[in-house]
Amino acid sequence: MKQNFSFKSYGLLIILLMGIFARSFAQTTAAVDSSVYDRLNYLEEQINYHKSGDDHFMVVGLTTFGFASNKTTNTLNGVTTKSRTNSFADANHYEFSPMFLWRHGKKFLMEFEPSFANNGLGVNWADISYFATPNLIIRAGYLVLPFGTYSKKQAAGWINKLATDPMGITALPTTDYGVEIEGGLPIGSMKMNYDFALSNGLQLNADGTLTGGNIVDNNNNKTFTGRLGILPFSNSSLELGVSGMFGKVGNYGSSFQDVKGNMYAFDLNYVKTFVPILLNIKGQYNIVNIGDANYVSPVDTTQTYTFKNHSTAGFIQCAIRPTGIQALHDLELAARYTTYSTPSNSTFGSDQHSFSIGLNYWLSWRAVARITYETYTGNSTASQALNAFTGTTNSNTLYLQFSIQL
Amino acid sequence: MKKYRSLHTVSLGLIILFSIITLSSMNSCVPSKAVAAKTGVQLWSENCQRCHNTPSPATFSPEIWETVGMHMQTRALLTEAERDKIVEFLKSAR
Repeated sequence: MKQNFSFKSYGLLIILLMGIFARSFAQTTAAVDSSVYDRLNYLEEQINYHKSGDDHFMVVGLTTFGFASNKTTNTLNGVTTKSRTNSFADANHYEFSPMFLWRHGKKFLMEFEPSFANNGLGVNWADISYFATPNLIIRAGYLVLPFGTYSKKQAAGWINKLATDPMGITALPTTDYGVEIEGGLPIGSMKMNYDFALSNGLQLNADGTLTGGNIVDNNNNKTFTGRLGILPFSNSSLELGVSGMFGKVGNYGSSFQDVKGNMYAFDLNYVKTFVPILLNIKGQYNIVNIGDANYVSPVDTTQTYTFKNHSTAGFIQCAIRPTGIQALHDLELAARYTTYSTPSNSTFGSDQHSFSIGLNYWLSWRAVARITYETYTGNSTASQALNAFTGTTNSNTLYLQFSIQL
Repeated sequence: MKKYRSLHTVSLGLIILFSIITLSSMNSCVPSKAVAAKTGVQLWSENCQRCHNTPSPATFSPEIWETVGMHMQTRALLTEAERDKIVEFLKSAR
């Protein structure tokens, strides 16, 4: 009897314990489930909050500043004058340029780059692009014209290998109001690219020089600018390009109204690693032909004069970076030879040459501190009869510069 | 004068030659199998350095890389396939 009682008691106790255990386990599981669900819900909300939409707006940009120490000697009619400047802000190359990018889905992109440079505010470009097909982009607005590659691809301080622009290459205005089509084309193992623009065009000044970027066209003729590039190797290491710019440059109704400009540019870009060196060779050659015109003499405004308005500018640049040597991989040595010839017997004729050598220290892939030394020789070919001859000028300039893209 | 004319002719000739090559290739713009098989990392290492140092994928968020990719397509004149592969690599390698 006593044994039966004891079995019953144990049985009841076990059932009771199992009940308590089951209940408490169920409560714990429910509590865990609830907190995990809450956490997941919270994370889901956070992801949805941060999930990108179709549109996107962003600001990047660049700044370049530095110091320039220059010594110039000019010899004219046997008289030599010397000048020396030491300037912060590196006046010719200082810039602070934010760039605004708006993306609307994957079809539209607006680009706007204002710039504080040369002690004033300006706009480098302001345009909208429509990505029409895989190989066709249509653009309209204030454009960088496809004339050579330097202005469009290499001029930014954090991209450039030296502290200065190659003279003459940036002398021709290459930003204008217009429309543009461009794209890249795969052709077997090669690639090609095209870039054609129709714009208001350049304007011929009273002395035979050119200006551009006119919002109102100075004549009824539109200027065509185009560039074709070919990348013959499958690794895209070499690109060769040829450009042309054709259009009337004279003001409508003026004596210049039929004057045409025919301009050409040839460019080369070769970038390849030869372990442990990264070799970077770039070059461009511009030819500017402006039709014949009679210009009013600055000496006697009742007289006119004429000259062959033909200019050339070219540079070849080589940079080497020992990317495969750990101790030196942030350094890059660069050198460039530049030549620039403007029309003789004009008021601005000269034969100019410069040689630049520099050392870059890359703080990151988009930040560089550099030192550049540049020698310059300019022999005036301007008209003596127009009192424009300026003799021979030699200068040496040392640049210390920092540039970053943000 | 003769020198300028010959320079003009040579320049114009080169432009016409490049134009003919481009126009004739527009209808058959297909990459070779080897080029089509290139990965994003290959294209990133080959194309970015044509103008500037190769960017670190960690620089921007995936959303920003999308926008930067479009901007760079207009600058470097990449094909759309190249841009998409490079952007996917940059987004995934962060």
